[in-house]
Amino acid sequence: MIKRARHLAFAPYVAFLAVFLGWPAFYVFRSALAPISASRSPMLEAVTGQFRGSFVYSLQLSFVSAFLGLVLGAMVAIALVRLQHVRGLRNIVVGYSSVAANMGGIPLAFAFIAAFGMQGLATRLLREVNIDLIGWGFRISDFWGIVLVYLYFQIPLMTLVLVPALDGLRRTWHEAAQSLGASARQYWRMVALPILMPAIFGGFLLLVANAFAAYATAFALSSGSSRLVPVQIRFFLQGDTITGKTNLGYALAAWMVILTTALVIGFQLLSRRAERWRR
Amino acid sequence: MRATRLVWWLVLVVVGLFYLVPMLSMARFAFQRIPVIKLSLDNVFDRWTVEPLFDTFGDPNFRKAALLSVMLAVATAVATSVLLLPTMVVAHLRSSRARKLIEVSAVLPFVVPAIALVVGFAGAFRNTFPFLIRHPLGLVPLYVITALPFTHRTLENGLAALDLRTLVNASRSLGAGWVRTMVAVIAPNMRASIATASFLAFTVVLGEFTIASLLLKNTLPLYLAYAQGQSPQGAFAVGLVLVVISTVFVALSNRFARTVKT
Repeated sequence: MIKRARHLAFAPYVAFLAVFLGWPAFYVFRSALAPISASRSPMLEAVTGQFRGSFVYSLQLSFVSAFLGLVLGAMVAIALVRLQHVRGLRNIVVGYSSVAANMGGIPLAFAFIAAFGMQGLATRLLREVNIDLIGWGFRISDFWGIVLVYLYFQIPLMTLVLVPALDGLRRTWHEAAQSLGASARQYWRMVALPILMPAIFGGFLLLVANAFAAYATAFALSSGSSRLVPVQIRFFLQGDTITGKTNLGYALAAWMVILTTALVIGFQLLSRRAERWRR
Repeated sequence: MRATRLVWWLVLVVVGLFYLVPMLSMARFAFQRIPVIKLSLDNVFDRWTVEPLFDTFGDPNFRKAALLSVMLAVATAVATSVLLLPTMVVAHLRSSRARKLIEVSAVLPFVVPAIALVVGFAGAFRNTFPFLIRHPLGLVPLYVITALPFTHRTLENGLAALDLRTLVNASRSLGAGWVRTMVAVIAPNMRASIATASFLAFTVVLGEFTIASLLLKNTLPLYLAYAQGQSPQGAFAVGLVLVVISTVFVALSNRFARTVKT
């Protein structure tokens, strides 16, 4: 009796997840797998037809912004280690990183329009020093513009992933390597980097997933006309009037779930591996 | 050595500028009545005003949107604590396996992007529970789900710092029932964590656009997207206020998280 009551304690939470997360996800896949006609399946159509380009575009954007976020975020994390004698610096940078990593949506799009848009302040200031972004064809709603905006949350997220990993590098390892005659470069290449690799690669996957799922910022930057997959899904499913094509929207959503699931699982496995050294 | 240090400083300065410039640009655009083309060294300090912000505050559409967003934020924070805390307490008391399972389930929202969640939700409930799609408070369960990875993490840290078994046994042996134990013993001990989780839930709800936009609910971010075309200065001013608010919330939750650890 008591035992059963204890099981029941989990019931509300489990039921909540099942109804509001499980069922919607199930519905997406069920609709995505329902065939349009005898020979065409929406899942296939979503990645072969005209939407192939959308996926390629979304993935390119995610990978490029994740890669640049990785490089710059790592540089910030290393700078913090190198300058650790400066009091308070680390708290400020890590603190603001946790703010910026959660930034997104409409306000972030506004900030970048105000800075790097046609009439942006940064655009204007850069022109003063003969860097003519607009003249070079840079537009905030284009590929590289969205990459630039996404870097605002990608860089700090990578910093937040890497700072604890760098903390985990023990001084004794460095000393051991040195006493065996390793140069600084050899220490980084043969000791530190291999240990950091799971954290770096895991962080990269997290950044890809992060950019891939983002929607609001790109939507606001392009006034709703972007080729990104999430914006395309909206096009198919918002009105619910285009008959016969709605399943295609669900198929796009299903592919998004599949891709982010793979990325998140990869991240989880790698971060577990990364933590092994931290005990 | 000195030279390499300089390089690392340079990295921090460049990235710092990248973080700072967009926010400053947004502030200038919102609060200075000079188009960027006409801006020069002579007039950088001229014609600053907070009027756009107050103009927007006077807009009834803004008030409706702000009220809705605040209501959703509070409802989401409350629903999160009510749903999550008892479940997690029981899981902590029972076994580390139950705790791990809850932990895994709390990461699940990460694998279903907001856009996929909302189209699935709309499709699944359109014919069965249309009320949830039509009523603005129907957003609350989706927001609880969206915020779950963050709120769970916070409450988990708080619970791990408590000697839960002793607290519960003491309370039970004095004759308190489960409800009373939760309300009078555990909740007060979890104040900091509950506050942190609530701040994070507020941040998520106040910034959320995707779900509200597909269900056509006029929350604050939707109002901003709409006002961008109508009165850009006012929209950017409110956008800046939202950035400041979420910065404060995240800073507060960082602070609370630190007090929990020690």
